[in-house]
Amino acid sequence: MKDLLEKINLMAVENFSAKYSETRAQKLKKTLLTLKEGRVEAAKQGIENGVALRVLVNGAWGFSSVGSFNLSDLKAAVSDACRMAKAISKRMKNPIILAETKPINDKINVETKKNPKNISMENKIKTALTINKSSLSYDKRVKSCTIDYLDLFGTNYYVNSEGTNIEQNKLYVWSRITSSAFSNGVFSFSREEIGSTAGYEIFDEYPPEIIGKKVAKRAITQLEAKPAKGGKFPVVLGPNVVGVFVHEAFGHLAEADLALSGGVLSNRLGKRIGSNVVTLYDDGTIKDAFGSFKYDDEGVPSQKTLLVKNGIVKGLMHNRETAKKFNMKPTGNSRSESFRVEPIIRMRNTYLAPRDHSYEELIEDINSGYYMKSFRGGQANIDGTFQVGVQEAYEIVNGEIGDPVRNVSLSGNTLETLLKINAVGNDFELWPGRCGKGQTAFVCDGGPHIKIKEVIVGGSS
Amino acid sequence: MVVLEKDKMLTLADNTVSLALQKGASEVEVYLYEGHAKNVGIERGQITKSNKILDRGLGIRVVARKAIGFAYTNAIESDDSIHDVIMSALNAARASKPDNNWNGFPEKKPYFQIENTYDRKIVQLSSEDLVTIAYEMLDSAIAAEKNVLPIEGGVSAAFFSSAIANSNGVRGFDKGTYVECSLAAVMKKRNTITPVCFEYDAERNYNINPKWVGKEAARLSSSALNTRKIETKTTNLILTQFAIQSLFSNTLINAIRADNVQRNQSKFKGKLGEKISSDILTIQDDGLLAGGLGSTPFDGEGVPQQKTNIVKKGILKNFLYDNYTAKKEGKKSTGNASRAGYLSTPSIGATNFRILPGNKTSKQLTEEVDEGLLIYYLQGAHSSNPVTGDFSVVATPAWKIKNGEISHSTRGVMLAGNIFEVLKNVKMIANNERKLGSIIAPWILVNNVRIIGK
Repeated sequence: MKDLLEKINLMAVENFSAKYSETRAQKLKKTLLTLKEGRVEAAKQGIENGVALRVLVNGAWGFSSVGSFNLSDLKAAVSDACRMAKAISKRMKNPIILAETKPINDKINVETKKNPKNISMENKIKTALTINKSSLSYDKRVKSCTIDYLDLFGTNYYVNSEGTNIEQNKLYVWSRITSSAFSNGVFSFSREEIGSTAGYEIFDEYPPEIIGKKVAKRAITQLEAKPAKGGKFPVVLGPNVVGVFVHEAFGHLAEADLALSGGVLSNRLGKRIGSNVVTLYDDGTIKDAFGSFKYDDEGVPSQKTLLVKNGIVKGLMHNRETAKKFNMKPTGNSRSESFRVEPIIRMRNTYLAPRDHSYEELIEDINSGYYMKSFRGGQANIDGTFQVGVQEAYEIVNGEIGDPVRNVSLSGNTLETLLKINAVGNDFELWPGRCGKGQTAFVCDGGPHIKIKEVIVGGSS
Repeated sequence: MVVLEKDKMLTLADNTVSLALQKGASEVEVYLYEGHAKNVGIERGQITKSNKILDRGLGIRVVARKAIGFAYTNAIESDDSIHDVIMSALNAARASKPDNNWNGFPEKKPYFQIENTYDRKIVQLSSEDLVTIAYEMLDSAIAAEKNVLPIEGGVSAAFFSSAIANSNGVRGFDKGTYVECSLAAVMKKRNTITPVCFEYDAERNYNINPKWVGKEAARLSSSALNTRKIETKTTNLILTQFAIQSLFSNTLINAIRADNVQRNQSKFKGKLGEKISSDILTIQDDGLLAGGLGSTPFDGEGVPQQKTNIVKKGILKNFLYDNYTAKKEGKKSTGNASRAGYLSTPSIGATNFRILPGNKTSKQLTEEVDEGLLIYYLQGAHSSNPVTGDFSVVATPAWKIKNGEISHSTRGVMLAGNIFEVLKNVKMIANNERKLGSIIAPWILVNNVRIIGK
C-alpha cells in the first residue's frame, strides 16, 4: 500500500506541479446492530475501502476520493484533484501555506483485550438484548427501547510528499440506548451513549444490565417532571453537561478555522475570557478515550493541548494550515470522518480541569436555581451564543436538590458565561459523544461539577 | 472510475439477487448506489478548496428463517467481493433472531416518471463553471454590503443513480441531478460580530440563483449588526423556512412516522381523523413532486413514491409508512422508506414534506403582526424532545416586528414550547413557498410562544 500511495504523491508533484500531496487509504470493517423492543431490526456488516488524495497546487487545495485501490482509478483522481486546484487558484489572494512538520515513519497497532472482531455477532446481539431487557423490565411505564451498536476496526495508511509514512490501526466500539415512557397522557424520553477505543471491554465498564436500567430510570423520573421557569438563574452543571457546555460554548470557538473566520477568540490569545478557576484542555492522548488517536489525518502527532489556563487563553486547536497563519505549531486536530472527505479541525477529548470544591459545597448556597445533570444536545455560534439542551434537570431550593424539571436548556454568550463560573468541583468524568461539523467525529468531553453564577435557562413555564 | 450505466447496474442487482437465493437466502433485496459530486469551497472570502467525490456501493438485505441480515460494500468490481457481501449478510441473518412480524419484501408495482429531476447541464458543469458560480455569489454579496465577511460556503454539483431489485420481482433504476450554492456570512463592528447568517439555493435542474444567495446572506448579516435586547414574554412568531425545517424535522416528522406510532413514541397515536392543528394548516408528503429535492420514482425498498395527505385543514389524515410497518397494520406502504446511500438499511423518512401555501405575501404576513419576532435560524433544535415535542432553543439572530414592520434585530432569544401547541396556534400562512432539504414551506405566523430575553 505504501508504494502505491507514494507513487500517487510523486505523480502529483512531478506531473502536475503540486507543491504538496498526501494520500490516505482506508480499509475498514463495521458491524452495526439496531434493536427495538428486543426485535433485531437488522444485523449489519459493512466494508468501506478507499483512497483520499489531497494536493496543494498554486496555493489552493484539490481533493479527490475514490472507493478503489486500483492504480488507473487513482491516476484519474490525481489528475482531477490537481486540475481542480489549478482552476480555483486563479483569483486567490491569500495562497495556502502549511506549517512545517517533522517527517514521521511509524506503525501503530491497537492493543485490546477484547477485540470486537473476535466476538461473534450472536454475542453482540446477546449484549444488546440484555440492555434492552433491563430497560423494558425496569418499570411498566417504559414503552420502548432502541439500541444502536457500532464497532469498527481497520487500518488507515497515510503517506505524504514530505516523507511521512504512517500505518495506524483503528478500533472503536459505540452504543446508544434510548427509552421512552408513557403514563397518564405524559411522554418522556431518555438517552445514553457509551464509546471507547479500548474494545469490547466497554461493557465491563458499563455492564449491560446497569446501563439499560439507568436509561429507563431517567425516563420514569422525567414523567413526573414539571416545566422549568425561564429566566436568569444560578446553576450547577454535572460533568456530563459541563462536557457539552465546554465543547459547544468554548471548544468550537477554539478551533482555529472558526477563530480565523472572525470567531470571538480570534484576537484573544493571552487575554482573559474566563474566571480564575477555568482551565481547559483538548487532549488526544487519554488512554482508551473515544476521542484519542496517535496521529491525525495530516500525519501530525496527537497531543494534550492547553487552551485556557486560569481564565487566560493559551492556545487554539490547529491543523497545518491554520498553524502557519497564527505562527503556532500544529496541534494534531486535523481529522476526517473517512476517505470520502477532507480533514478539518476537530476536537478530541475536551474538558475542564477539576479543582477543589465538593458537590455539596457547590449546591449549598443556591436558594433558587437548577441542577443540570444530563444533556440532550447543544450547538454553538461564531458570535459566542451557545445552547445546551438538557434531558435531566432538577430544581435547587434552599441549597438542596428539589423536583425534576423538563424541557430545559441553557443559553448565553461564551465570553460572559465563562467569567461567571465561580466554583469548580473536585470530581471528574469524561463522556463519549459524536460531534457534527459537516462530518461526524468521535470525541469525549467532560469535567467536574461546576457552578455558574448566572445563565439564561430556557423554560416554558 | 467509469460511470455505471443503467443496464450494468440492473444486471449486477439481478445477478446478486439470484446468487444470494442460491446461497440459501429465502428472500433478497439488493440496492446499488453511485454518486459523483464536485464541489468548490469558499473560506473567508475566497475559494480555497475543491473536491471530487466518487462513491458507489451495494447494500444487500437477506432473510433467512425470518431473521434479517444486511451487509454492504463499496468494493463491487469483483465477483469475490459480491460473494463476500452475500455471505456476510447471510451470516448476519443467521446470527440474528427471527422476527415474527416479518411479512416479506414489497411486491412489484408500476413507477411514475417525475419531471425535472435530471438535468444534463448539471452533469456537464466543469470545475471552472463552479468557480464562476461561486464568484458570482461572492461578488454579489460584496456588492450588496462591502464590509460583509463571507466566511464559508460553496457550490456543489452532483449526479447519482440507484438501482433496486428484490426476489419478488421488484426492479427499478433512477438517475438524478442536484446543484446547490450556499453562503454563510457575518459582519463585524469594533469588537462585536454578528451570528452566522446563511442562505442557500438547491435545485434538481440547473436554475439556482447564486446572486440572490450572495445578496441575501449579506443583507441578513448586515441587518443583524445593530441589536437591541428583548423582554421575556409570550408573543407572536413568524417562522421562516429555516426555522420550520429545524423544528419540524426534530419533532413533528418523528410523530408522524408509523414506526414511532406503533411503538408508543408518538403523541399522534390513535389520533387519525382528529383535529391536531389550526384549520388553515394542510401538510402533504409528496414524493412525486416535479423538481422536488426528495423526489424519486421509488423509495429505498422499491415501493413507488406517492403523494400522501398528512394533515388536511387541521385534521390528521395519515402516517408515513414503509413496507414493514404497513404490513403490520394490513396497510399499503406510503413509499417512505429512505436510505443513506448503500450504507444503511431503509428507515422511515419524509420525501418532500410540504406545508401548503396560503395567499398572503411575506410582507402582508408581517403587516399582520403588531408585536412579535421574525425567526430564521434556530440553535439547538436537535436537542428537542423527539417524543414529547418539547423544544427549548435559541433564535439568533432574530428580528423584532413592531406595528407590522421589522424594527431591529436581536440576539440569543430563547424560545420554549411544544410543537403540538405551535401547530394549534398557526394563525396565518404566506405564499412564499421554497424548498429546504426535505421540507417545502412558506413563512407561517404562530402566536402564543414563550420567549426568554437576555
